[in-house]
Amino acid sequence: MGNLRTGHIVEAAIWLGFCLFLYIYSFDFEQEIEIYKFGASAWPRTILLLIAIAAIGQLIYNWKKGDGSATSMIAQAHDDSTDGSDHNSLKWYLWTFFLLALPFIYMNLPEGIAAIMSLEQPGLHVAKLVVAAVVVVVYVFAIRGNHVGGILALPILFGAFLQDFGFYAMAPIFILGVMFLFGERRYKRMLVVGGGIFALLLMFFVSLLYVGLPTGNVGWFYDFGTSMVNILQ
Amino acid sequence: METFNNFLGGTITLFSDPLGIVIFFGGVIGGMLFGAIPGVSMLTLAAILLPFTAHLSPEHGIMLFSVIYCTGVYGGAITAILFNIPGAPENAPTAFDGYPMTKNGQAGRAVGAAVMCSALGGTISAVIMMIATAPIANWAISAFGPPEIFALVFFGLAVASSVGAKTFWKGWLSILIGLLIAVVGLDPVGGIKRWDFGMPYLLAGIHFIPTILGFFAVTEIFVQAENKVRGSYQAPKLSVDFPSLAELVAHKVAVVRSIVIGFFCGILPGIGATLAAFMGYNEAVRWSKDKSEFGKGKLEGVISSETANNAATGAAMIPLLALGLPGGALTAMMVGVFQMHDMEPGPLVFLNSADLVWVVFAAMFFANLSILFVGYMETKTIINLLRIPFQFLAPMILCLATVGAYAVRGLAIDVIVMFVAGAIGFFLRRSGYSVAGIVLGLILGRIGEQTFAQAMQMLHFEWSGFAGRPIAAGLLIAGVLTLAGSIYGAFFKKQ
Repeated sequence: MGNLRTGHIVEAAIWLGFCLFLYIYSFDFEQEIEIYKFGASAWPRTILLLIAIAAIGQLIYNWKKGDGSATSMIAQAHDDSTDGSDHNSLKWYLWTFFLLALPFIYMNLPEGIAAIMSLEQPGLHVAKLVVAAVVVVVYVFAIRGNHVGGILALPILFGAFLQDFGFYAMAPIFILGVMFLFGERRYKRMLVVGGGIFALLLMFFVSLLYVGLPTGNVGWFYDFGTSMVNILQ
Repeated sequence: METFNNFLGGTITLFSDPLGIVIFFGGVIGGMLFGAIPGVSMLTLAAILLPFTAHLSPEHGIMLFSVIYCTGVYGGAITAILFNIPGAPENAPTAFDGYPMTKNGQAGRAVGAAVMCSALGGTISAVIMMIATAPIANWAISAFGPPEIFALVFFGLAVASSVGAKTFWKGWLSILIGLLIAVVGLDPVGGIKRWDFGMPYLLAGIHFIPTILGFFAVTEIFVQAENKVRGSYQAPKLSVDFPSLAELVAHKVAVVRSIVIGFFCGILPGIGATLAAFMGYNEAVRWSKDKSEFGKGKLEGVISSETANNAATGAAMIPLLALGLPGGALTAMMVGVFQMHDMEPGPLVFLNSADLVWVVFAAMFFANLSILFVGYMETKTIINLLRIPFQFLAPMILCLATVGAYAVRGLAIDVIVMFVAGAIGFFLRRSGYSVAGIVLGLILGRIGEQTFAQAMQMLHFEWSGFAGRPIAAGLLIAGVLTLAGSIYGAFFKKQ
């Protein structure tokens, strides 16, 4: 095994599996192009081959030198790897990936429910509200003891809610949430600073530059978003 | 003499027009601010302003964008140095040494060096641009076809693979991820859908602005978040002690080398300031007697990167104005400005709109010069941003990044792409991969594939055709040798 650790083998396996997955899907676009004999798949497959070679090269490197030092001093200076960290266990990864999956559950589940129950648009909006509420509750419980995972997932959750509930309703909650996860507990200061950040953003981008931000499309949130735009512009 | 007269004419036209003056200074300050505000970039400002240029004259519209280009490239250095968030990919190498300097309490020295070198590189580049536009454009047109551009992309990636990652292999994996992201969407030759997985959004490809915002701005927040939770977060130390002139004179060789590298990278369509900055930085490392200091806060790293990227701005205008070929996102937007006025950039612009060309040249010269003065004043204000506690700065940066990602195309999915890229960047960075490598691969990937396809068509699909083109062959051999040297170093050199 030389200097190999399980993590090195898992890392190489992830790369090779990733390459295999994309290689299989590359047959979808394996079409001839009249003026270009290599076709549309040659370039992507070459990249996949090079990724596989580099992943094996990295594995051989690990086998010979373990984690080794970086090949250059510049690389050493940029090394953010966290081998001794608490956030490196399998449990932490699984927990974090569960948190990261929550936004995608929200993005797909309401449509699925609506399709199964043959819901019209108002019903779909109710489904979205219910699923969003459940996802938020699960998120709040799941981040206990995993603040880093919570910080990674919160912006994606915010992005997932943006289209349906709008920037105007979601941004203040998001700002306060990020402050909380970063350890701020002085609630009055959070409200004042958070309100200030939100007001500055709206004044600069919406009132001054007329940037169109998402107003949302779910019931009351849409009304709130559009009325905010009307007030600010 | 004719060049000087033309320049004088352009200057008089520029500064005798009150609206022109307002637009010029608006562009100077706007470019710097948007370049410097974490989470947004000069591209955000340019994208927002693009529709409004229809109400301006072509001279004012193009001049505004060229001024934003010059000062925005500098502005991105401020966030690269202070927050490790490069305003644009061309500022990524600036962060390699600039951010460690901030951590060492030398933010002022790093920003001061960026101010002086950006102004110097940009101004000299603008002068060379004015003197040598025609001969250099003619040489590039005749000497650089698709095989040469592909070879240059290959060489650039080979050189850049050694920067930022923990090992050579992880450096290459980082670049290859970028190349892979660039593949998603329609293929450049036949328009065939690739890896769209049935999602209409992916047909247009993954937009580089949300991806760059994610890999740089968002990843940095996540990394700082983990440091804060682990209790290893170190607030940057403040200082405003700009470097002395003597200190910069001591780096004159690095400055001259970076100007030459920046100019020649900038002149080639699609290569531009990003590769210039990476190559400027890499060459500084290569020629340095004390390589071990790079990445830990060496002033020469900031000087080389910032001189090279601003030196590329003047040169990048040559293919745009002479050939109508945009070299990057901002120059592509300039093509949009031309088209909104029923004009096409290209050789005819020199014949039909010589006034426009010289107003733009004069504006770029003075914009670069103004970095020196406006940059100093503005920088001291921006350094004070560091006094804001990170728990308040983080939501501000994330919200600005959200607005920046959304404003590009008005798609909420771009915001999700940005945050997902941020999370991926977080995991990759903590595993020793390089986010700068990913972004370089992403940007050069499309150009690389397109020029490779064109080159192979030109060479009738004969690989030996490259051997008959000395520049292409030379660059390919240099790239292969660089790779071979890195592989040898990775396996056989003692640690």
